[in-house]
Amino acid sequence: MTDSAADDMTEFHWMMDMIQSIDVGIVVIDKEGRVKVWNGFMESHSGLLPSDVRDKTLFELFEEVDAEWLKNKMRPVIELRNRAFITWEQRPFLFKFRNYRPITGAEDFMYQNIILSPLTTHTGQVENISITIYDMTDVATSKKLLEATQVTLDENLERQSA
Amino acid sequence: MYSVLICDDSLVARKQVSKSLPEDWPVSIHFAKHGREGIMALREGKGQLLLLDLNMPIMDGYEVLQEINELNIDTKVIVISGDIQPSAHERVKELGAIDFIEKPVDANTLQEVLVKHGIRQGEVVEEEPDEDALDPDIRDCYQEITNVAMGQAGDRLARMLGVFVELPIPNVNLIEVSEMHMMLQDIEAKESVSAVCQGFIGGGVSGEALFILSDSSFDDVAKILSIKEEVDDKVQLELLMDAANILIGTCLNGLASQLDLRFSQGHPIVLGQHRSVSELISANKNKWKRTLAIELSYGLEGYNVQCDLVLLFTEESMNMMNYKLAHLLED
Repeated sequence: MTDSAADDMTEFHWMMDMIQSIDVGIVVIDKEGRVKVWNGFMESHSGLLPSDVRDKTLFELFEEVDAEWLKNKMRPVIELRNRAFITWEQRPFLFKFRNYRPITGAEDFMYQNIILSPLTTHTGQVENISITIYDMTDVATSKKLLEATQVTLDENLERQSA
Repeated sequence: MYSVLICDDSLVARKQVSKSLPEDWPVSIHFAKHGREGIMALREGKGQLLLLDLNMPIMDGYEVLQEINELNIDTKVIVISGDIQPSAHERVKELGAIDFIEKPVDANTLQEVLVKHGIRQGEVVEEEPDEDALDPDIRDCYQEITNVAMGQAGDRLARMLGVFVELPIPNVNLIEVSEMHMMLQDIEAKESVSAVCQGFIGGGVSGEALFILSDSSFDDVAKILSIKEEVDDKVQLELLMDAANILIGTCLNGLASQLDLRFSQGHPIVLGQHRSVSELISANKNKWKRTLAIELSYGLEGYNVQCDLVLLFTEESMNMMNYKLAHLLED
């Protein structure tokens, strides 16, 4: 192996390592929703091995994934080569991942922000879509807490003025 | 009280015109978003003076002037438009407008015109020229690249949604924080609109896109995006996000490709839902003074969909953008 090829391999290796260990979910699906590849985050939270999921559709693997809804979101991504953003406020999660922190996890499920991005081939066609999943549970918890506090505060103020 | 009606489809333009009215002039100001609304307001006696834009959806300025003649409505009309072709000037005067002011309007010009036609007494106050005003060449340039971006975006949108997209004429302005504040307060005050904002950054250019959708549009947006469920709050949020994704995304993609940049987009934030708009702005007050705003008002043919897209660029971004656009400015 030449030096540069060895360098490339090393680089590829640490890059894969990074993608595997990052605390963000990354899934690549094709236009039909079949899983091409996913990272460590997805593997850990779903409990499914890459070999279990490869070339199966998200709809077969996760019964909570609403096929029609997701396909509606995928359409502009493929046809307009446009990113689609989905917030937890609009839909709490795409994948129903259980709370994994026995002490500090206050919610039953992981709240998720989702981004669908088009992945273009060398000819500029969108053949695959990458789904990025962010864990928003802590934000959602604080927001709920804040809103609850505001309600309590308003109630107290009302009682005082009455 | 003397009543003034400002008829313009652009939120920024309506604000700018109302701000340009003489400060010491006790008038009641009314607004209309398009010609049809304008005529309705006039018939309710809400416009002894009409400040009229020409390019508007549903019913444009020329049609308004015609209708005023046909219905014999008693009002004085001053046209305020970005259309600077001499034929436009002539045409509106033939149709009965008393004067024509080119956009962007400033307080001094408006005052002069008002005095000239005896609508207002008094002397013309000399105003300091605005040194930081946007160079007309640069404005043209921004307008042009937005037009091209919109053309591309509109084409893709139209093909995907199977509707005819009425391409907006972009409004390019330098706006002050205070104006922005007024605009956002409008969003907050009116329950009839929903808004989403999203940050973008790339290649030394950064800013925020603000997408405003009038609530009356939701039913038709649902139809276009083939949503069959009943449109409740949750579905509305979903539709708002979908529409924002498509319009912000296509527009930014178009701009980025012309500027030879790639934008990263942050996650969008729904405004006014959980956090008050004034709170958002006041936290940011000291950080920026003025900003470049590109405003687009969209309509879809055959549907009751009204939405505005405002792109706000940070001051620093303008250096980079001007540099990138330099080749367009060369003769």
